Amino acid sequence: MATIAVDGLTKHFGPILAVDDLSFEIGGGTVLGLLGPNGAGKTTTLRMLVGLVEPTSGTATINGGRYRDLADPVRHVGAVLEASGFYPGRSAHDHLRVQAAAGGLPAKRADEVLELVGLTGAADRRVGGYSLGMRQRLGLAAALLGDPEALILDEPTNGLDPEGVRWMRELLRGFAREGRTVLVSSHILAELALTVDSVCILDHGRLITQASLEDLTKGARQVVRVRSPRADELRMALVGQGSTVRSIAADRLEVEGSSPEEVGTLAASLGIPIFEISEDASSLEDAFFRLTGAALPEGLAR
Amino acid sequence: MTRPIRAETLKLRTAPMTWGLLGAAAGVTVLLDVLIGIRAGAGKGRVEILPLTTLSGQNTIFTTTQFAILLAMVLGVLVAAGEFRHGTATATALVTPRRHQVLVAKATVAGGMGLVFGLVGVVVSTGVGLAFLAAHGDALLLSVGTLLRDGAGACLGAGLLAVGGVAVGSLLRSQVAGVVTVLVWTLAGETGLGALFPSASPYFPFNAARSLSGVSSFAGETAAAQFYVAALTVAAVAIVLALIAAETTVRRDIS
Repeated sequence: MATIAVDGLTKHFGPILAVDDLSFEIGGGTVLGLLGPNGAGKTTTLRMLVGLVEPTSGTATINGGRYRDLADPVRHVGAVLEASGFYPGRSAHDHLRVQAAAGGLPAKRADEVLELVGLTGAADRRVGGYSLGMRQRLGLAAALLGDPEALILDEPTNGLDPEGVRWMRELLRGFAREGRTVLVSSHILAELALTVDSVCILDHGRLITQASLEDLTKGARQVVRVRSPRADELRMALVGQGSTVRSIAADRLEVEGSSPEEVGTLAASLGIPIFEISEDASSLEDAFFRLTGAALPEGLAR
Repeated sequence: MTRPIRAETLKLRTAPMTWGLLGAAAGVTVLLDVLIGIRAGAGKGRVEILPLTTLSGQNTIFTTTQFAILLAMVLGVLVAAGEFRHGTATATALVTPRRHQVLVAKATVAGGMGLVFGLVGVVVSTGVGLAFLAAHGDALLLSVGTLLRDGAGACLGAGLLAVGGVAVGSLLRSQVAGVVTVLVWTLAGETGLGALFPSASPYFPFNAARSLSGVSSFAGETAAAQFYVAALTVAAVAIVLALIAAETTVRRDIS
């Protein structure tokens, strides 16, 4: 079980303050999302964690020590920080053989992780012909080579199709279920909301808040979207129950103050047919507003 | 240290660029030898090549290893700077976070491959040279000892300059800038500076490597350095560049 800890981490690039006195900790069995707009300091933080960027001050440790001091780093931490970091003329299989050799791992691990990420069929193709999604999978395969205790991923779903995004989500959740640690950055709120247990929200290099997803979304605005041919009737019934209802089309409502179960039960009791009902997945975004009181930072995607 | 060396060896073996450069080294050496063989003794042109019946003529056709030496240095640059060109420096540093180990491994492997480049140049230039002598029925005037010394010198020069290339690539972190720097220095810099400072000319790194391969004089008829002096000169340049690269590469961010 790996513990990743960041304490007072600060990084200046000349006059630019990229990361400002950042502290957080993450233990095993957890997926922590590092969330923020482009330029918030997510990538710099991850790079400082694995020794690629030297902090101006503060510490970034894994199991209490610096990454570069780990005896066999790939057995402790797998990281994907650059989706395009491959020599285009080399095959995926050869890329992984190189990584395995450098990490002191058996060459057969290359085949195993290629199968794990679904690239066995393209293993002998040159990486230059890979799509961005395939490169993401290959990067993840390299990170998994050492069967590490922790994964550090920077925007891992960039370029993945919806099926790939779901595959990635399930893989990360499964990784955490095994008691391992996952630190993942993203600027897409909805994506993280389905994957993480807790969140660090960064903006301009500073930590705005760190909380579990449950705590963060507790009390946040819950919106239920309903489609019904008798939307007006349903709206009046919901208002009568104390919910706040907004008509967004002749047959569509947005309901606040009631859960999907409550809306569905009420409609059934009145004999009102419902063709569609869903819960707004943007509660993390709402929590961001509620907790910080700040405007959504520029570049933060929904 | 064996892990990064194994990894760097595998990188070189699995990169088409390596074999492309080696093929170019062999191909251009053949071309140069054929042109020299045809032009030798054909009278004064822009560059006069004495007949293959003379020591000087034979020295010319047997020392065309220079292009292989130059490409060995280019290979060294690509081995180091290519990591930044293709973004693989991150993956390399993640697996081997102690960067000086990566630099030593790259220098070792590129140096070894440089020896191979030199060897290919020697085999090709000797083979084509001997074929021209045989075709014309000319006797070999150079001793076997001289040929062996020049061959070994070419391999040594190529290996050491490949190490120097790794240092240049590591310092500049730009494939284009590294290759241009090496080519401009070897093809124009040493010639230009040699014209200004003829007595220093034999001690420029590429000229010193050429001396090792058997080239006996440079522009302005400046005599080449002695074998051991040339070897020490090239080695010193490679080591100094590598030390500077080691000092800086450990401190610089990979972002």
